[in-house]
Amino acid sequence: MKNIRKANRKRPEPLLDAERRRDPGVTKLTHRDDSDLSGYKKKALYSLAIIIFFFAVVMTRLWYLQIQQGEEYSELADSNRVRYLEIAAPRGNIYDRRGREIVTNRPSFNVVWIRENNKIDDEWLKSLTKILGQDASTLLEKIRKMSGVPGHIPVRLAEDIDWETVARIENNRMYLPEIKIEVVPLRIYHYENLASHLIGYLGEINKKELESVDRELYRGGDLIGKMGLERLRESDLRGEKGRDYMEVNALGFEQRNLKGDEPLPGRDLQLTLDVELQKIAEDAMAADKRAGAVVATEVNTGRMLVLASAPTLHINEFVGGISHKAWQEMLNNPLHPLVNKLVQGQYPPGSTYKPVTAFAGLAEGIVTPDTSFYCPGSYRFGNRTYRCWKHSGHGSVNLKRALAESCDVYFYQVGQRLGVDRLAKYARMFGLGSESGIEMEHEKPGLIPTSAWKKKRYGKKWMEGETLSVAIGQGFDLTTPVQLALMTSVIANGGILYKPGIVEQVRDPDGKKVESFTPEILHRLTGHGKNLKLVREGMIEAVNSRHGTGREAQVDAHGIIVGGKTGTAQVVRLKVYKHLKEENIPYEYRDHAWFTCFAPGVNPEIVVTVLVEHGLHGGSAAAPIAAKILNRYFEDKMQRQQGKTGSEEMSPGGRIFFSQDLLEDTDPPPAEDGDENAAVPSPQQNQPSN
Amino acid sequence: MFRFDRRLLQHFDWVMLLMLLLVGGMALTNLYSSTYITDTGASSIFFKQLLFFSAGLVLILVVILQDYQKIAKLGYALYGIILLLLLYTLFFVKSIAGSQRWIDLGFFNLQPSEPAKLVLILVLASCYASSDAVGGYRLRDLIKPVILTALPFVLILLQPDLGTALICAIIFVSMTLYVKLRWATLGILSGSGLMCAFIGWKYLLKDYQRKRIETFLNPEGDPMNHGYQIMQSKIAAGSGRIFGKGFMEGTQGHLHFLPERHTDFAFSVWAEEWGFAGSLFFLSCYFFMLIWGINIAMSAKDKFGSILAFGCVMLIFWQAVINLFMIMGFLPVVGVPLPLFSYGGSSLLTNMLAIGILMNVRMRSFPTSQ
Repeated sequence: MKNIRKANRKRPEPLLDAERRRDPGVTKLTHRDDSDLSGYKKKALYSLAIIIFFFAVVMTRLWYLQIQQGEEYSELADSNRVRYLEIAAPRGNIYDRRGREIVTNRPSFNVVWIRENNKIDDEWLKSLTKILGQDASTLLEKIRKMSGVPGHIPVRLAEDIDWETVARIENNRMYLPEIKIEVVPLRIYHYENLASHLIGYLGEINKKELESVDRELYRGGDLIGKMGLERLRESDLRGEKGRDYMEVNALGFEQRNLKGDEPLPGRDLQLTLDVELQKIAEDAMAADKRAGAVVATEVNTGRMLVLASAPTLHINEFVGGISHKAWQEMLNNPLHPLVNKLVQGQYPPGSTYKPVTAFAGLAEGIVTPDTSFYCPGSYRFGNRTYRCWKHSGHGSVNLKRALAESCDVYFYQVGQRLGVDRLAKYARMFGLGSESGIEMEHEKPGLIPTSAWKKKRYGKKWMEGETLSVAIGQGFDLTTPVQLALMTSVIANGGILYKPGIVEQVRDPDGKKVESFTPEILHRLTGHGKNLKLVREGMIEAVNSRHGTGREAQVDAHGIIVGGKTGTAQVVRLKVYKHLKEENIPYEYRDHAWFTCFAPGVNPEIVVTVLVEHGLHGGSAAAPIAAKILNRYFEDKMQRQQGKTGSEEMSPGGRIFFSQDLLEDTDPPPAEDGDENAAVPSPQQNQPSN
Repeated sequence: MFRFDRRLLQHFDWVMLLMLLLVGGMALTNLYSSTYITDTGASSIFFKQLLFFSAGLVLILVVILQDYQKIAKLGYALYGIILLLLLYTLFFVKSIAGSQRWIDLGFFNLQPSEPAKLVLILVLASCYASSDAVGGYRLRDLIKPVILTALPFVLILLQPDLGTALICAIIFVSMTLYVKLRWATLGILSGSGLMCAFIGWKYLLKDYQRKRIETFLNPEGDPMNHGYQIMQSKIAAGSGRIFGKGFMEGTQGHLHFLPERHTDFAFSVWAEEWGFAGSLFFLSCYFFMLIWGINIAMSAKDKFGSILAFGCVMLIFWQAVINLFMIMGFLPVVGVPLPLFSYGGSSLLTNMLAIGILMNVRMRSFPTSQ
């Protein structure tokens, strides 16, 4: 009140003046007022200009923000509000030729932390350690490792947790903000380590791989194929990741789900492989703790039915990174599980090479089926004596017997007459000495020597004596098990070298075929059908005659006739071991055992090749494994045909056809000599051999 | 005493009323959107502001009925009350968020620093209109207005409320420049002003106030805190683009990325939802209203009316410029609302009163019947 009175007292005149001004009588005051007001008008005009100027500035700024930079700010606004979680795509399944599942997926649950605020609360950590059963330090270490990674990428705290843990996390959702359960498909191997070298395994993508892949498709922590088809067919199998988009507010709480992208599953692979046969092969190798390889292939297409390298890898040890210890153990394992022996193992073919020498001899007219050489047990060439494996000698030997009983002396002489270069020319036609192009990693080419090769490699002239070794598959000759299977196929199918096929079909998730197997011919031998038939006959003898070296491959059921060839690949010729009994030679110095065969005898459809490392004898170590596979193959085939055509049986008919037609130009069967295994009696005599 | 002339009605400022209703309507629309709660619908904040706006219209009606000369007589009394209220807030009010600004009146939290600005304009206008300065004001003529300004200025600064205090200073400077000033006076004034700014920066500013200015000068240095607000505001406005995201569709506002979205950053929400086109319309209305106010100051029938009208325009204008500049990233966050647009009862009523005074001056600038 006091204030007001004071103000009133002090109140200046102009208020009164102004009141008075309305009175036209008070001219003086009005005049003064007017002159002042004109000054104000000028100022008011200035301020008008200032106001308009600021309006222009504000509008220009808005133009810049909203129109010039509008797009950029829109993106920033979206990145503010939109978060996404990647959803891993289920990888393509892998099936065998009959559609049996080899590798599929199962859902696994991971615990992830979405770092909205990037703050670690003590209570939060406590509940997490309790639920996950991990130390706080382990969790913090995982978080620390991810500290350099952009914040929107979740930190994986636990992997493949069980249902109970999932339930506990869901129940404690309130106390675990920013914790989510991520569903990631994981591989299931229905046959454990079956065909592990072929199928391969997955592993977490490493730094080096991340540098070379498309960063749109992969990020740290993703799984990628590390070996085998998982690696080679990565682009087919991986599919496309999906994304879950959600709108979040400034505190990171989900407001609503936006439309997301479903993951696109990877393409399925159907292999040409037959899991049943593969399993027989692997089990047989594992039963005797053998190292080696088994190949089975369709003669007329090149489809691979069995591709086994023994011992198999333990895939589970590789998943999630192999430990140093396990790795060292594998490196030091005398059975060399890491080597894919199918294409990376190069072995002298030994006697399995003799059909090639025989064919070359026939093709070049050096021998006829009736040409005979006398084998006294050794052959003298130059100033050296080349021995036959049968020291007592085979006596007079023609082509068929030479193959059946694997007479070295016969092939020394054929080889000597051919010369190394002519022999090599034919060997190459059978697919030896170069990569087959099979869909496997690090395939080795093997070696078929020529004189030019030796000159180049060693700078030395080819010695004719070396030809004799090469002719029986020793010396410089090196082949892989797959190559030998191809060679046998060429003999069996009348001269066609097919590229080996592994993948029957690649299918999109909707079932559409994107790739189908078609036989691919790498080389065709023409005009030699008769010669190849002669070689086949020799190989049939080898299995079926009394003195044949591959008798253990006889298929006991269904009367299927098998033609095959055993082989022994010399590992080392050390004098020390020469006089030891075989079973006393240390494992690593024992010879490798080969057996390669085709069946049936007429119109062969399957070739099986078996290599047993340090197995000593093809006949005893390798042939029985081939026999098991052939048995199952034909059994299965019969069952299928019975299923289709009722009781009509094809195979026995095949045998009748065989025995009447094919065997009629061999010698008549002699009397049974008590060997109950001899399905086709041996035409020849001589001492028993092993 | 109370003479209501029918001719006053004839000169009623319909233009200003229309502008006020347009701006106020847009403000309420925007507030409805920015405070909308998904689960419960329009928030109580909106209805409160609607009530304040209606109260403001009634207040304007009351104000225009009285001749502004008569209102001016109340000037010093009001000034005294305001100073007391400011002192009261300083000593008896518990601080909210680090400052003491509001007096709880039960139905309404009064922020005395808001009407303080208008009362300051009133007393400054009386002061300048009464003193006769041929050839311009000398320094000693300014002692009284400086003291009149300094009292509320210091009290508000101590709250602390830098933004409002600055507005008081700017109002003083604008109004002083409006009346005639000697060049020497201007030189001394601006020199000492700079000096004060320097000393203030060095010794008087609170840490958070200094921080705001530093952040503004180097926003990348502090991305998650103070610069964050400006960044989010720019994102909101920028992402509105030409036609905006649509009413109630602004993501920056509705998802709480934008801080203070119904008070200081209300216009960011508008720019986000209505785009450049909507902003152009709003700002055109707004600035036309100011220009119309200057027109009123120019056409006032006397010195006091002119200075008073000019002060009222400057009150709204400078707050608007500071707020808009802050929203668009030209200025640090100083906590100045956009008059008539931002939420806040004290601010809305004060600024509506300023509009009322302008209408009052306008109505009485025409010769009335004797």
